[in-house]
Amino acid sequence: MGAYGLFLVNGLAVGAIYALSGVGLVILCRATGVLNLAYGAIGAAGAMIAWQLMQYGCPEAIGWLAAIGTATLLSLAYGRLIAPHLSFREPVVRAVATLGFAIMILSLMNFSWVEAPRRLTLATDAIGLSILGMRVTGTRLIALLAAVLVTLAVALFLAATQTGLRMRALANDRDLAAVLGVPVVSVETVAWGISGVIAGFSGMMFADLVRLNPTVLTFLVIPAVAAAIVGRLESLMLTLAGGLTIGVVESMATLIRPVAPFRAAAPFVVAALLMLWYQRHRRLTFAGRD
Amino acid sequence: MANGVFTISSVISLSAGALLAALASGAAHAADAPKCGLGTGQAADGRPILIGSVVGETGPDDFSAGADAARAYFKCVNANGGINGRPIDFRVEDDQWSPETASQVASKLVKDDKVVALVGNGSFVEMTVNAKLYEDENVAVVASACAVRECFEARNIASTNQGPVPSNILTAQWAIDNLGTKKVACIALNIPSNGVWSCDQTDRWLADQGLEGVPVLFDPGSADLTAVLLEAVATGADTMLVSLPANLGVAFFKAAEEQGLRDQYNWIAPTPLYKEGVPEALGDYWDGKIYINAELTPWDRDGPDAKRWREVMDAFARPEDPRDTFSQAGFVSANILVDTLMEMKPEEIDRDNVTKALKAVKNYRTDLLCSPWYFGEAASHQPNHAGVELVIKSTGFEVVADCFEAKGGMFEDILAMEKSQGMTGAN
Repeated sequence: MGAYGLFLVNGLAVGAIYALSGVGLVILCRATGVLNLAYGAIGAAGAMIAWQLMQYGCPEAIGWLAAIGTATLLSLAYGRLIAPHLSFREPVVRAVATLGFAIMILSLMNFSWVEAPRRLTLATDAIGLSILGMRVTGTRLIALLAAVLVTLAVALFLAATQTGLRMRALANDRDLAAVLGVPVVSVETVAWGISGVIAGFSGMMFADLVRLNPTVLTFLVIPAVAAAIVGRLESLMLTLAGGLTIGVVESMATLIRPVAPFRAAAPFVVAALLMLWYQRHRRLTFAGRD
Repeated sequence: MANGVFTISSVISLSAGALLAALASGAAHAADAPKCGLGTGQAADGRPILIGSVVGETGPDDFSAGADAARAYFKCVNANGGINGRPIDFRVEDDQWSPETASQVASKLVKDDKVVALVGNGSFVEMTVNAKLYEDENVAVVASACAVRECFEARNIASTNQGPVPSNILTAQWAIDNLGTKKVACIALNIPSNGVWSCDQTDRWLADQGLEGVPVLFDPGSADLTAVLLEAVATGADTMLVSLPANLGVAFFKAAEEQGLRDQYNWIAPTPLYKEGVPEALGDYWDGKIYINAELTPWDRDGPDAKRWREVMDAFARPEDPRDTFSQAGFVSANILVDTLMEMKPEEIDRDNVTKALKAVKNYRTDLLCSPWYFGEAASHQPNHAGVELVIKSTGFEVVADCFEAKGGMFEDILAMEKSQGMTGAN
């Protein structure tokens, strides 16, 4: 077991945040049809502001509030001010528009915080326990726990609340749902809000576990998108499994010498293999796909 | 109202006092202004001399500190009579870490603007792309932040910084002599001309010493540095050579702190971790535990050039321009160029003559470098191969070993060449 256990435990913690971010993307995508590529940048902005406040001497709790608050505000601002103007465009146009938003946020961050060595330390870093020979900090445990709990909570929310039902209706057939009286704007606002809260939380976790750098955090949306694709942008449970798998594959690849330097490709490899698997029974016909 | 009168008069007297103080400090400032070049205090108004620089400013890291320092120095020279009356027109281009952009901006400077030389270049990509252009167009580059193989193995580029190979080896050499290092894990980025090359060279040098080095390479986009740490631990090394940019280095040390590994290994690093903000970002945990090699002398030295560098930066640089090793290197590069141009007749300053004159520079001495610098006519250039070893304290950096030379391996050949050709005045 030895080394395998060590890398497994390590991969699960990072995979948990990929999964958590993936869940934030899936809930938004289901309710609004938008694949939010600015998700990483939104979380990064929250983490940078939290770090700045903590540098000024603010307690960690204020940092957390600021991170989640900033991310939620940014997400809501896009969801209310920009997204509605694009709601009848193709999904790819809507996704690319969020990429523009990501670059705006990233540029603002790079303008405000010049490149410098920074580090975000949370109180939960100091506590920890030893699992399979690796010291697992409280932050990593929280990440894993949060991924599972948030996935369950969001699944329950979609299944058991009226807003959840409306979100599912919108995901199923947007025009029909609107005709039937689903208040599109307010339901979408809730989705942007929830997604923003999760982005803020995962931004802080990524900043602690990965590194506090706006560019790195912005592009951590890539493994999150890969996790969401594993869940076919629909299934929360598959997204959770996808995120954890990507994290574990990325970590375990370290043990295989020839592929170790290329393990950052794990999200793409896992997502591509699953996409191939999902479409295994489809065939191209003259009329389109059967 | 007495109170009101009192207030107004105090304001007037305070304002007058402040004005006088400002005038006095302005006069003092003028008197203290650093003297550069001819030191005339008169602005140069002749025909400008075009000098270029290509830097990787926007992207994963900022490599423009050398060009910033060169710009400050040229401003100072221009304000003091220029190059025998001719001012320097310094044009800095950002390669944005993109090979295409690097090629475009270098062509613009070299072919369109027709610069006579380039100074202060610092990049991860531009030297790889442009080394051939510089050779074909016969333009010389006195770089200051070379990080890739092609920068050192180019006929027309010579840098005032060392790059990762000597800096890695110097810090490893110090660890062997002082910490009992036997096996080194070289932790670096999986970039062929940077991490792969520098770890390979370091491991070869270690093998020459009868010791072992193992590369631990990873993609710059890797999220998880704990996996990198675990991989390094699995090599069985006793010393961790953290050859990473500062931001990644800090994240790597955080992962090691999380695992409580501080006292189980020797921790060493090349120059990139000698950067403002690193001790604060690492915190008390690492106090006195990480040894870093500096490619130039420490920032706070009192030598005449060290003082002049700080004075020029204070008077002519932007407040946000860094005061770090690459800034020192840019200042030295700019001084080498200005000293070379000053020796030439102003009307003879053209690209061919400047390239010839720069390549003839040898035994250039400054207290910012540990050993004399030279350009020389060769297919590769590694004039800077001596450094200072520092230790990280929670409050800053402390010197543990002053200027020392890299020994053994490839450096034997370099030292022999320097001696036979009189490059450092030691023949």
